[in-house]
Amino acid sequence: MKFINNLKWTYKKYGFLLQQLVTRDFKVKYKRSVLGIVWSLLYPIMMMAVMAVVFSNVFKFSTPGVSYLAYLLIGLTYFNYFSEASNLAMSSVVANFSLINKVYIPKYIFPLSKCLFVGINFLLTLIPLYVVIIATGTGLNWWHLLLPFSFICLFLFTVGMGFILSTISVFLRDMFYIYGIIITIWTYLTPIMYDISIINPTLQFIMKFNPLYQFINFARSIILYGNCPTLGQFAGCAVSALIVFFLGIFIFKKKQDKFIYYV
Amino acid sequence: MKKKEIMIDVDNVSMRFNLGIEKGFSLKQWFVDFGKHKKKKKNEFWALKDVDFKINRGEVVGFIGANGAGKSTLLKVVAGVMKPTKGSVKAYGNICPMIELGAGFDSQLTARENIYLNGAVMGYSKALIDSKFEEIVEFSELRDFLDVPVQNFSSGMVARLAFSIATIVEPEILIVDEILSVGDIAFQAKSEAKMMEMISGGTTVLFVSHSINQIKKMCDRVLWLEHGVVQKIGGKEVCDEYIKFMEKK
Repeated sequence: MKFINNLKWTYKKYGFLLQQLVTRDFKVKYKRSVLGIVWSLLYPIMMMAVMAVVFSNVFKFSTPGVSYLAYLLIGLTYFNYFSEASNLAMSSVVANFSLINKVYIPKYIFPLSKCLFVGINFLLTLIPLYVVIIATGTGLNWWHLLLPFSFICLFLFTVGMGFILSTISVFLRDMFYIYGIIITIWTYLTPIMYDISIINPTLQFIMKFNPLYQFINFARSIILYGNCPTLGQFAGCAVSALIVFFLGIFIFKKKQDKFIYYV
Repeated sequence: MKKKEIMIDVDNVSMRFNLGIEKGFSLKQWFVDFGKHKKKKKNEFWALKDVDFKINRGEVVGFIGANGAGKSTLLKVVAGVMKPTKGSVKAYGNICPMIELGAGFDSQLTARENIYLNGAVMGYSKALIDSKFEEIVEFSELRDFLDVPVQNFSSGMVARLAFSIATIVEPEILIVDEILSVGDIAFQAKSEAKMMEMISGGTTVLFVSHSINQIKKMCDRVLWLEHGVVQKIGGKEVCDEYIKFMEKK
């Protein structure tokens, strides 16, 4: 109860600031661009088109029984959210040092606002995703109503990663470069453009520990195969998201008072 | 006599900086030092040493001292931006820190948008900014530039806007770090009048300035810091002693 009250109090005090930071990002992002917010819709489609041409025509990847375009776009939508949000969150604390150094603001608000900002973008990219789902004849079903569960898990996981990365990057600025490499490796270790069944069983087993695979897999079984996700899938998503989320909070909380010395 | 109410209680505060941190760990240095078994040199610097004072409600306290004496660090500790290495600080009231105005601005946004953003950074609610919006615009005299991105403003205009936002509420504790020199002469007079108005309204003020005249004019008490140590706390006579001390140097 006390925890809930605390949360309410915090929201009342800093909710407006959070909202302002998210709106700021939105305004700045599309300022002076001709197409503006249309880019949020266009970009994932373009990415999908390019990758579809490369992987299905050049490398002959395919996903038997389901549309490869839809398969690809689900993975891309989820992974792009994670990669963009975690990258922005990582640099958010360092980028706002001038502010942290002058006014007392809870520092977690910066990574959190970035994850929310990209989150709104993510919701917009669902529009092209559904256009593709319908255009490829994949069809809709009632299980789609369960998809927000995977959105929440993806969000919590990303916030946790954002906390961890932003903490590390304060003490080790090399992290910005290192993470670029990590993300590239992560792209290929997540079955975005290929089907998991084409790799060997040991790797398949290891891949189950990749939280992003869990989230994407959850969405694919609903959208492509029309199945209700198994209990194992629910658990896989929730557990991996919560572990990283709380680990992130723990690390950030423990180190945040030291940030100021590394300005 | 009215009973004095303590607003800020600074209890034996010490603040240590580790200057070595600035360099941090670098691969190059690691190779250079490899095999040398160099003892790690302790490169510490005490920005504040056992600073201990109390400030009562409604007092205006000036902080003086040479550059690097620890004035700004002390204000940051009071504002809650830094946690002291030793000791504790208690503030009984909401604090409005006016330390380097405009830090919360986004240069790409317009003045109108920045009023909301910076207001949120200062901890105001949306309702408060809505109701004070006109007043802020009026005071800053920037009505014609409301929808211009702040990056096109002159530094004086930015400072005016920031000052207007910062002083719109009547905080119980106001922390001012060298900002009364913003804007042109007319605005300087205006901002000083505004400060005086806040002071007479019972706001407790912590004031850092290198202008001894300003300190003498505004402050009830003066605290002189030297190398992180409190040299003297007292009335305006501390200013004269400080001037004498600086002249001898």
